[in-house]
Amino acid sequence: MMPKLYVEAVPPADLNKNTEWFMYPGVWTTYILILFFSWLLVLSLFSCAPGTAWTFVNLAHFAITYHFFHWKKGTPFSEDQGIYNSLTWWEQMDNGKQLTRNRKFLAVVPVVLYLIASHTTDYRHPMLFLNTVAVIVLVIAKLPNMHKVRIFGINAGR
Amino acid sequence: MVRLPYSTALTTLFSYGLLFAFGQLRDLFRKIIDWFKSSSEDLKGYAPICLGLEDFYTRRLYLRIQDCFCRPIASAPDAWFDVVERYSEDSNKTLHRTSKTSKCLNLGSYNYLGFAAADEYCTPRVIESLKKYSPSTCSIRVDGGTTDLHTELEELVARFVGKPAAVTFGMGYATNSSIIPALIGKGGLIISDSLNHNSIVNGARGSGAAIRVFQHNNVAHLEKVLREQIAEGQPRTHRPWKKIIIIVEGIYSMEGELCPLAEVIAVCKKYKAYIYLDEAHSIGAVGKSGKGVCELLGVDPADVDIMMGTFTKSFGSCGGYIAASKEVVQYLKDTCPAHVYATSMSPPAVQQVISSLKVILGEDGSSRGSQKLAQIRENSNFFRCELKKMGFEVLGDNDSPIMPIMLYNPAKIPAFSRECLKQNVAVVMVAFPASPLLLARTRICISAAHSREDLLKGLEVISKVGDLVGIKYFPTEPPKHETKVYKVE
Repeated sequence: MMPKLYVEAVPPADLNKNTEWFMYPGVWTTYILILFFSWLLVLSLFSCAPGTAWTFVNLAHFAITYHFFHWKKGTPFSEDQGIYNSLTWWEQMDNGKQLTRNRKFLAVVPVVLYLIASHTTDYRHPMLFLNTVAVIVLVIAKLPNMHKVRIFGINAGR
Repeated sequence: MVRLPYSTALTTLFSYGLLFAFGQLRDLFRKIIDWFKSSSEDLKGYAPICLGLEDFYTRRLYLRIQDCFCRPIASAPDAWFDVVERYSEDSNKTLHRTSKTSKCLNLGSYNYLGFAAADEYCTPRVIESLKKYSPSTCSIRVDGGTTDLHTELEELVARFVGKPAAVTFGMGYATNSSIIPALIGKGGLIISDSLNHNSIVNGARGSGAAIRVFQHNNVAHLEKVLREQIAEGQPRTHRPWKKIIIIVEGIYSMEGELCPLAEVIAVCKKYKAYIYLDEAHSIGAVGKSGKGVCELLGVDPADVDIMMGTFTKSFGSCGGYIAASKEVVQYLKDTCPAHVYATSMSPPAVQQVISSLKVILGEDGSSRGSQKLAQIRENSNFFRCELKKMGFEVLGDNDSPIMPIMLYNPAKIPAFSRECLKQNVAVVMVAFPASPLLLARTRICISAAHSREDLLKGLEVISKVGDLVGIKYFPTEPPKHETKVYKVE
């Protein structure tokens, strides 16, 4: 029987319980595994070409991560009395410190997905256009200069 | 520091992701359905009470397992107590009580020394004081609420803890959340342990001082944060801080760990910061004569600037106290809102603390106090040892009566709780937000009132349920082989 591989989980000194869970071991692996298994799921459900499946995963990933990381503001519980109500999840990460390991990892994942999706579809249109739009929006949203920036006042409300 | 198998970390993250996804889907459908239903006329124009996303956790995660929390009990929280049975007809959105109760082993109450149930020395005296002083003083401390019982209690607490003076309050949570704003204000710095209790966090936020957090029990990190903050000074103006207070707890209620008090005091003395020690769970429960974590770790109480504690845990009463030098206590009596505006402690509750303190100190003429202290130490060490041998991941140091057993996966929380209740053992679950999101656990509190048979029954049930639920993350120790005696015919 394979011996269990143990990891140590040190409780991080992060007061924001909305982002604290991202500092634990196994998060990066879970993220990558979820992407891989959803690609397999799409392949088995729609029995399409692998490239189309990767494009589908890339666009779904774009929609979901944009909505939860860069659109939804605040925290899903009320114990912190609303001090983070004007910050998106991305802006709350790591207490606002830019260019940490977690942020760099999260910025690299859409780019890698884009490369895989465009390679497996042989850079054909219209998939290439959609994938490029997805990766450009996601990477720009994660740049340090975009911290707390609201273009044209979109999403600046409650 | 917890050690968990890597596969468990992955599955826990995946489970929370799944729960979150389902919750969001249900919210989406709820929004679509509500779009078509028109809102009633009286609510038009009013702002919503809470933003839809603020109570997402409560609506979609907590309500599903609501029957594991807030269980009403129908007797005193002794070693065995009656738990009221509840049922639900709409999958846990609302719970209805029945009139049936079931007798369960109590592994969840903070009844460390067994004073929660009727005691032969304390209860007659409490009833007498109830008849003499009536249940409430109906006044604030400053007006007519200071009876001679209150003065006697404050002197006794100061003598017990080893400080010159003490002041008591009606509620333990309110002690922390109203004392810290009285001690420090804007321009001061509070450095608190990352796992401090919510009362300390609220008190610190209410004070207006700057708050910095250091990694739990990591004295090197504390020193690093302290040096950084002293060098930088106040934000923006960079003036020196008016006051620096470091807040730690004696025993952390969710981990059962002691704090490295001697090293923390050494760091505080080096940088001339004040130290505030919250002994809610350790006073009366650890230490050779029950005097708390200072006695256990061999620290002189004169080195700790402010010692705080509560009467709810080891003394079977309610309320909290602050023990410090005479000047600090007099200042707090003049400024703290919990003293100047809040009703004073109920006199029978005060008498209960006085009597239980006398039992612990041995001043009631018997040795029951030291017996109870030895009993709880023995019980905790035995229980913790046996749980570890079974392969559970148990946190906490030796001698601490609190032992959290790690569960991790969110589905194991209701599974463990309901299975244990079926077998008549009542345990307390700790989920988010009281504990970090991924480190869900069940917390066992051992009492001096538990006999050896109670502990063995508890161990048997926990072992069986642990096998069913699958939380024995560490390899079990094989039982020692009994030597077989062969009969020679």
